[in-house]
Amino acid sequence: MITVINQFLSTKSFDTRAVLRVLLVLVGLSALAAVLSGGVFLQPRNLVNLVLQNAGLIIVTLGQFLVIVLAGIDLSVGAVMAVSSVLVVLFQDYGLVGSFAVALAGSLVFGLVNGSLVTFVRLPAFVVTLASMQIGYSVSKILSDAAGSRGGTVYTGLGGAEIPQGFTDFFKDSYWGVPAPLFVCVLFLILVALYLRTSPGHFAFATGGNERAAFLSGVPVWVVKMAVYIISSLLAGVAGILFVSRVGLGDPQAGTWIALDSIAAASIGGASLSGGLGTVAGTFIGVVILGVLNNIMNLLGVPVTMQPAVKGMVILLAVYLNSSRRQN
Amino acid sequence: METAAPVLSLKKISKSFSGITVLHDVDIDLYPGEVHGVVGENGAGKSTLIKIMSGAYQPDHGTIHYQGQLLKNITPRWARENGINTIYQEIDLIPSLTAAENIALGNEPLGKGGSIDWAAVRSQARRILDDMGAHLPIDVAVGNLKVAHQQMVAIAKALSLNSQVLILDEPTAVFTSSEIELLFNIIRRLKAQGIAILYISHHLDEIFQIGDRVTVLRDGYLVRSGLIAEFDKPSLVRAMVGREIDFSLRNGHSLLGEEILRVKNLSRSPVVEDINFVLRRGEIVGVAGLVGAGRTEMARLLVGADPLQHGEIYLNGRRIRPTSPMVALGLGIGMLPESRKEEGLVLQRSMAENMAYSLVQKSSRAGVVPWKSIRREVASLLSKLEVRPANPNLQVTYMSGGNQQKVVLGKLLAAKCDVLILDEPTRGVDVGARLEIYKLMYEMKTEGKAILMISSDLPEILTQADRILVMAKGRIVAEVPAAEASEEKILAFALRLESEMV
Amino acid sequence: MTGLKHLNRILEWVGSNSALAALLVLFVVASAFVPNFFGERNFVAILYQYSIIGFLALGQLLVILTAGIDLSQGSLVAFTSIVVAVLMNRYGVFPAIAGGLAASTFLGVISGLIVSRTRIPPFVVTLGMLGVGRGLALVISDAKPVSVDVEAFTNFGRANLGGVPVSAILLVLVSLLLLYFVKYRRLGRHIYAVGGSEESARLSGVDVKKVKLLVYALSGLLTAIGGVIWTARLHSGSPIGANNYELESIAAVIVGGGSLFGGVGTVTGTLVGVVLFGVINSVLNLVGISPYWQGTVKGVLILLAVALSQVRRPSRLR
Repeated sequence: MITVINQFLSTKSFDTRAVLRVLLVLVGLSALAAVLSGGVFLQPRNLVNLVLQNAGLIIVTLGQFLVIVLAGIDLSVGAVMAVSSVLVVLFQDYGLVGSFAVALAGSLVFGLVNGSLVTFVRLPAFVVTLASMQIGYSVSKILSDAAGSRGGTVYTGLGGAEIPQGFTDFFKDSYWGVPAPLFVCVLFLILVALYLRTSPGHFAFATGGNERAAFLSGVPVWVVKMAVYIISSLLAGVAGILFVSRVGLGDPQAGTWIALDSIAAASIGGASLSGGLGTVAGTFIGVVILGVLNNIMNLLGVPVTMQPAVKGMVILLAVYLNSSRRQN
Repeated sequence: METAAPVLSLKKISKSFSGITVLHDVDIDLYPGEVHGVVGENGAGKSTLIKIMSGAYQPDHGTIHYQGQLLKNITPRWARENGINTIYQEIDLIPSLTAAENIALGNEPLGKGGSIDWAAVRSQARRILDDMGAHLPIDVAVGNLKVAHQQMVAIAKALSLNSQVLILDEPTAVFTSSEIELLFNIIRRLKAQGIAILYISHHLDEIFQIGDRVTVLRDGYLVRSGLIAEFDKPSLVRAMVGREIDFSLRNGHSLLGEEILRVKNLSRSPVVEDINFVLRRGEIVGVAGLVGAGRTEMARLLVGADPLQHGEIYLNGRRIRPTSPMVALGLGIGMLPESRKEEGLVLQRSMAENMAYSLVQKSSRAGVVPWKSIRREVASLLSKLEVRPANPNLQVTYMSGGNQQKVVLGKLLAAKCDVLILDEPTRGVDVGARLEIYKLMYEMKTEGKAILMISSDLPEILTQADRILVMAKGRIVAEVPAAEASEEKILAFALRLESEMV
Repeated sequence: MTGLKHLNRILEWVGSNSALAALLVLFVVASAFVPNFFGERNFVAILYQYSIIGFLALGQLLVILTAGIDLSQGSLVAFTSIVVAVLMNRYGVFPAIAGGLAASTFLGVISGLIVSRTRIPPFVVTLGMLGVGRGLALVISDAKPVSVDVEAFTNFGRANLGGVPVSAILLVLVSLLLLYFVKYRRLGRHIYAVGGSEESARLSGVDVKKVKLLVYALSGLLTAIGGVIWTARLHSGSPIGANNYELESIAAVIVGGGSLFGGVGTVTGTLVGVVLFGVINSVLNLVGISPYWQGTVKGVLILLAVALSQVRRPSRLR
């Protein structure tokens, strides 16, 4: 049986095999969750909720995945998300489009700074993004302070015009029976998959796998790297907008754990921290696996507070498995 | 001299890697107080021999006796600690530590209460360096020392371990002549102290200056061995060359077309100096020279991988400025890099992807890639190149060296390059794939492309090139038409012995 | 002519002691222009605040010397504080301190084991440990602060000897110990060798695995000392505090002349880096810049420091 599967897999590309591997893990965990919950887990509503709860994480992880493909890391995604969420609320006078534009422009600045320091000054990505995380959280507090904060949190409708009800309801609405956040997730999954079909997107794998070879093959390495760091920050900005829509406020402390979560999800999904490997499908499944793990922990009565510790261990395990597989 | 027992004695040593034998029944004896020179062309088996002596490789057959005892399965660590030390070209020192610390590292003298006795560390370093006759600052980080001084520190470190056998691998590759003299004085002192030295060098002058014995290797065989007095330079060169050259591999006749590439005064000091040559359609120009002659550096300038200091490049009569490999590829100039794993391939990606990188860059507009036509192109190239296994989705890391090299070549073909710079195109490639690569080169030539082939394999240069440029110390020192070329002649130019040989 | 020579010598000294030079300049400028900067009270306050970061920076220095990094320090401070607080309320002061030190060192040992036995990059390992440490702190405390009302302990947090905070004196003592260790003990000296060139160090007979294990364990231990003092100051253990402390410790090491590529850095330089950040912090406070802005200023300073250290990258062989 196993040899038959292996034979089937060996004719497929390595990317497909990697996706099937994580899919297998997902199926296994889902079965476990189904048994533990007495079938409740498999109910459509629960499954939809799983994606809804993790909509922001999915979008952030798509960016993190691209950075990891480049053999980098982006620890600043949570801070960028916080900045973006505060900006949306601060600039609500400008209307939906205006406030989104400001939020994304703010995120873009982080992407430009991260990208330039990594690409041109050649600093290690983790140091650059660690420092920009600190800057981001500080900026988000300055901004929310300027807005006249209440307990550090910026509420919609504070000072400025009301954020249209439609926006804050957006998350609760369904269109043609499909919840809105699901649309957004699918949209960005498709966008990132399409990006990987463009030349700079395609070259992210070459650049992360072997930068010197990519350079000698005529790949414009600096464009590829800058683009990825910018995209990662922009996606974090989008997650910040979604956050406002879901919670109804801008939070300068938002996204504390999302850097760790997104790294964990991308690693589970098969992205190798040494760069050059990973898939969009695997990344999506990685986030879902993380969600199912949360579900299982809840079912088993593991306290919520335990979850960062579990995630830390999951990152280590996923990275270890990825690196030992590469050595074989 | 003859009566002393050898300190290290290798008998009937053979070694092969994946079926290719690189050493055949080689005997070599090192006597205390003697310098034993080993010469041979690239690929003659010198580095394998060193690695067997220093414990990095185990021989397949044969015996090694050290100080009268039979050695079995030794490790590099054991060899170092028991007096067999190798000073490689890549010096094994810690750049941020001082000379004194590097010499003592791992065996720091301890004083009261197990604290490091720094006075002893420094006096030990001083003493060893003084004994060697080397005068250099011992309290400066070795990363800030001159290369020659770094090497002296490495030798001093070996001596601190009570070295009986010292193996020097191309020690003078980047030395000035005064530094060479300094090293020779040190070697003479070490000889007087009874240390046996194996001296590997391309520079025959040095062997004659410092050597007591010399051994010539060729294709893994020991060709001649004896006291240095039995040789002169011409006889040594004759012993080194004489390789079987299969002229049936001869790559057809020159199909001279019009000039395509002209290079004027190309320079990047100090590695490339004032290079001038012309490349015509339908010819293969070989570039011969020793390692470190500046061939790869010149190639990198042509494709814009390194910035040009000065000089001009003309393509089809028009001045071009290849500021990056991307620009060069756009103009139709592509390079197959010397090290395919480090510079040629993205190992964890598929062969089809690797082959398409340059093409994707060249054919996409505003980021939009014509995937369909690219896929077609790659599929046809795959069948043309006969890459095996013929699975375009296979990760390159799982392919053999020869097939990997075909993928890199395929990358240049896919990008439709008219000027191909091939740096060591058949290094680490098995015989079958080598012939296929030659065939491909011939096909490209008949299609009117121009090939600049850098190779350290003289038979390859002699059979494949229509014209041969010889480089030494960053300059082109000779241009020889294939019809007039011989291994001996090329080597004489590369070694700068032309006045004595011709 | 001689004037030029003097100038040259001064420039050379500034080049190799840039942190100390920056500290002196900032100190003079701040003393002249910033009200309330020059004075015993403020100096004591700087020492008081930054001695905690000092312990973390010493640990970070050892790790960075091996070309590693420890991102888990902030969460280990929180973890230590919770362990200390919980144990203190049950078993008294000394078992609590011993337990806190042991628990954090244990997590450091685990990081060290993973870094030295696998090829997982140190920043990933310690990022994982960041999650584990913070998570354990949350679990043990049930995400609530644990107050400590043992007076002997909380007094120790504020104690001073002849006007100098005890924590600063302790920091000096530990620094002296560390100075001796990295200068006069083989194992300590080998930390520099491993960071300079791992392969050469191995070939010279240095036990690379042991050295790496040691530095992460010591980083855990030194972080825990900082954590114990932090707990005494707070009068409680906090599972959510001490965020990003590792960033300041990394910055202090780099500003003090350390290199992220390993092999370069000194104990004294690191202490100068810590004091420099303390003075910067003090100036920012005294001129009335809000704590929010301070985060931005410090973040930018850290990026600048790291960028400068990239320029200063150690010379390589050939």
